[in-house]
Amino acid sequence: MAAQEEHSGVTGGSVTGGDMKDLRMTRMAHNTYRAYGMNIRSNRACPELTPTAAGAEEPDVTIRWTNGAANRLDPLDGGRFMVQPGRFRLDVAGVARYSVEDGRRIEIDPLPESQAEKIRLFLMGSAIGALLYQRGLFPLHGSAVETRWGAMIFVGFQGAGKSTLAGEFYRRGYRLLSDDVCAIDKSPLGPRVLPALPQLRLCADAYERMGKPAGARFDVDKFVVPLGERYCSEPRRLTAVHVLTEHAEEAPRMERIRGLERVRSLLENLYRLQYLRGQRTYRDLMRMAAMIAEKSTVARVSRKKDTRSAGDLVNFLEASWAEEFPELSGEEHCDA
Amino acid sequence: MRKFHAVDRLFRSNDLIATNLDDETVLMNIEAGSYYGLEGSARAIWERLETPISFAELVAAMMKEYRVAVADCTSELQKFLGEMEREGLLRVE
Repeated sequence: MAAQEEHSGVTGGSVTGGDMKDLRMTRMAHNTYRAYGMNIRSNRACPELTPTAAGAEEPDVTIRWTNGAANRLDPLDGGRFMVQPGRFRLDVAGVARYSVEDGRRIEIDPLPESQAEKIRLFLMGSAIGALLYQRGLFPLHGSAVETRWGAMIFVGFQGAGKSTLAGEFYRRGYRLLSDDVCAIDKSPLGPRVLPALPQLRLCADAYERMGKPAGARFDVDKFVVPLGERYCSEPRRLTAVHVLTEHAEEAPRMERIRGLERVRSLLENLYRLQYLRGQRTYRDLMRMAAMIAEKSTVARVSRKKDTRSAGDLVNFLEASWAEEFPELSGEEHCDA
Repeated sequence: MRKFHAVDRLFRSNDLIATNLDDETVLMNIEAGSYYGLEGSARAIWERLETPISFAELVAAMMKEYRVAVADCTSELQKFLGEMEREGLLRVE
């Protein structure tokens, strides 16, 4: 437990205490957070995560930033990252070295003169992504929104409009579960989406299009909008995964993906799948893909790519969902 | 190419995840990281393999269900089962 590091060598009294070589004080701040259904404790602040009251219980995950020359991670021999059973290592030049172990521990070794924001960018992305795989979750690369019909996920290639669409849902007053990584777990009633980070990262034009929402800050390469009340902090039952694509026609279309293609669409949209190879959880992941394909809808949504039409697309989706899916009652949203 | 004999016993591979999606049976070979969709009579064959069955029994079972000459049925099964075995979906004793 972290308390072991909290001891201090400072004691008073006797003059027979030796040469004071044992004088030592370690400071350990406890920042406790919740994300992806996990209780997380970090020895440095992570403002991207949802803070929780420091509980007495053991955290599920500990993030430890090393300080100074002690406990340094060795650089990787060639290659940017390395995956072994239960261990993931990532080196980002000029930023930090990361080690993720057993789905429980993340260690960060900041490199000289690196920016904390940048260090956390790779922590929230790659390192936590690898952690989710180690924990046997199914992390899809996409955004997720809470609706009357259950949680809806949007995946698609980079630039397909996932974040823009999430921004439009946000503008309409929907609560978001995630804007980048949708971790799916298995509950007795089927797949659930776990809440990710309470923020929406937007590129400059999406940010402007949304009328520059209040409270946003610029972080490394994106505008970050805190979700506040628009963050759905509870797991939600997954109803459908939508694969966003483009077509030339004016009218948007939604069609169910059938059979084998359903599994393929899920596996193809996993978050940084390269971080999984070599982990032990591949079997669980395949099983999860089968379960998700069986218990939820996978649909292709095609529309003419026109960034001004995100609003029309939301209208279209709402109408399609109302036709396809029953509305869920209060408890049905979160079969905990 | 392998040739199955009438008495060969056919087993589904253990290391598979199978799930029914719409009209397809989807098989996932975990070791190889590959996945397959079985439709139509391929699906019927897979269902017959639920309990171990000999090649001759499988031919007879398929003949009952499909209007097909015994020679055609046998050669189709030789081909298809051979492919399944190569893909690690089938075990033969």
